[in-house]
Amino acid sequence: MDSSAWGLLIQGAWTTLWISGISIAIGVVMGLLIALLRVAKIPVLHQLLGVYISLARATPLVTLVLFIFLTAPTMGINLNRNVAGIIALTLNTTAFNAEIWRSAFNNFSKEQREAALAIGMTPWVYFRRIMLPQITITSLPGLVNEMSFLIKGSPAIAVIGVVDLTRVTNRISAVTYDPLPPILAAAVLYMLIISLLVWLQRLAERKASRLAV
Amino acid sequence: MSNWDILWSSYDVFLSGFYNTLKLFGLSAVLAFLMGSAMVFLLEGSRPRLKVPLRIFIDGMRMLPFLILAYLLYYGLPSAGIRMSAWTAGIIALVIYHGAYFAEILRGCRATFAQGQVEAAIAQGFSQPQMFMRIILPQLILKTRGLLGNQLIILLKDTAFLVIITVRELTAAASSLSSTYFIPMEAFIVVIGFYWLISIGLELFIKMIGRFGAKRGFENA
Amino acid sequence: MPETAAVSIRNLSKSFDGTEVLRDVSLEVQPGEVVSILGSSGSGKSTLLRCINWLEQPDRGDIRIAGDRIGVSDSGKPMSRRELAGMRARLGMVFQGFNLWPHLSVLRNVTEAPIHVQGLSKTEADERAMALLEKVGMADKREQYPYTLSGGQKQRVAIARALAMQPKVMLFDEPTSALDPELVGEVLGVIKDLSKEGYTMVLVTHEMEFARAVSDQVVFLDKGIIIEKSHPSEFFENPKTDRVRRFLELEAPAV
Repeated sequence: MDSSAWGLLIQGAWTTLWISGISIAIGVVMGLLIALLRVAKIPVLHQLLGVYISLARATPLVTLVLFIFLTAPTMGINLNRNVAGIIALTLNTTAFNAEIWRSAFNNFSKEQREAALAIGMTPWVYFRRIMLPQITITSLPGLVNEMSFLIKGSPAIAVIGVVDLTRVTNRISAVTYDPLPPILAAAVLYMLIISLLVWLQRLAERKASRLAV
Repeated sequence: MSNWDILWSSYDVFLSGFYNTLKLFGLSAVLAFLMGSAMVFLLEGSRPRLKVPLRIFIDGMRMLPFLILAYLLYYGLPSAGIRMSAWTAGIIALVIYHGAYFAEILRGCRATFAQGQVEAAIAQGFSQPQMFMRIILPQLILKTRGLLGNQLIILLKDTAFLVIITVRELTAAASSLSSTYFIPMEAFIVVIGFYWLISIGLELFIKMIGRFGAKRGFENA
Repeated sequence: MPETAAVSIRNLSKSFDGTEVLRDVSLEVQPGEVVSILGSSGSGKSTLLRCINWLEQPDRGDIRIAGDRIGVSDSGKPMSRRELAGMRARLGMVFQGFNLWPHLSVLRNVTEAPIHVQGLSKTEADERAMALLEKVGMADKREQYPYTLSGGQKQRVAIARALAMQPKVMLFDEPTSALDPELVGEVLGVIKDLSKEGYTMVLVTHEMEFARAVSDQVVFLDKGIIIEKSHPSEFFENPKTDRVRRFLELEAPAV
């Protein structure tokens, strides 16, 4: 593989990273919002969100990407490939993140709320200053784990022609006629990205276990 | 004719896609589970030479996207002189990849297993394979049923990646119907419904194992 | 010697990480005999018991079960797994922690090895198991799963499970140490019945009164060495060494 092939590969890796990065950022926040709405158990909305989560968890990313990219034009929306990819990845990861946040909420001790209200905190201050920081720490290992899963699922966007780290190997081998080296090189780059996340997950776990004591 | 009527007229395309996805899923789920169990068996007891290579293989797979493995088998291996159909490459990729994940789930649980039970089996004269099959594996399954169920759902979803290497499965059916008749919305809704159905079926199956386990006092891990 | 010893241990030594746990231990158990191994914790008594069925491999010395050497085949090489499994099936072992298999019912815990190791038919194995469960008073619990049982009940099932292989010798490794005091009696009762039926037994225990009542021979281990080996009446009433006297004062409070 020559330097132009490596250049393409790095571009592919960058595409994978920024598209996944945006989806992860939106997905973590949206997941928190959905978890809050679900914990509030608002009738109808609770059930609707439940159906969304169940559907999103059961739908393959490839299928979701195709669905969004092909359906949008029929509704008169012109979607750019990258945006379609981001929407699909976000819809997917949000559902998983919502469940991670929700389980942290459900496992949070009720006594702290009483203690906070007893010293005169308003519910909002209690949520922002006491509950959220702790829940973020306990959720973090799960959230980082889900980030790894999202990166591993991100090649799905190749199906609509986004040239990510997986699809770029086709492009390189179209010139070199030898697909094996770029595929192996892409595999190594994926391993680097995922191992970084695994390392972060371990850090997060250590932090979370300190909180548990 | 409404879009739904058009879809109904080509229900056979859906059915064959559905059938192919089920076949891919069923076959590779069984083989991957067998492979994962076999790896955990090989990690048992006195085989230190196998420990490191198996560890590297399992961790390696867990750091790769599934599609890149499918690419490697389908596009990459022919330049090393190994050529196979998209279907074969797809099945092999699913089995190897998810076999490693199953192995990791079972191994993690095996590591927390009470040694006394194993000693009791040894003292009763069980051979290694018998003990693994009759004493260890059933308990690993009961204890890790939740994780195994999640992995099965991930496996199901990974079958959809194979549309990219031209396997004619369920997502491929939706894709080809939507481009033939230009009715993507309806076609994909039907297909997503199918995936949902299989997932719910899998969840019920895991619940059944759960009842089986609860009767024996096994908590879900 | 008129009969082949049920268990014959000769010059057994064993170390863990450089610490000698057993030093040149020799012991014979005759058929029908009940032998109790006593000693304070760390004396090596459990290790000695676990060497008998090769759960621990001794460094030196040999062990014979009814004349056949365990662990080492006739050619002098270490036994294959299969040969070892065959020898172990001739010994029944009861553990301190019961070690029942939680995914199997009481009945299936007892029939598991007879069916899958000895090759008995399910009917034969069930019949044998029910007779044994009857003997230990657990027949009515045959369909239950281990987690529903008390410690004493678990241990009685574990005894039936070991007996189901029709072993030549029963080994008990502190069978009542993990039990609540009020449950000790039911397990000791079962073991006592077995001794009356003529089973050959080797037991490691902390129950002095019990050891005195059931044993034909008492062995006292201290730092891996047998320092006393005698009839229980002799051992408890007339210990030969100061070490045993001190031990008895500590272990057996005045009733």
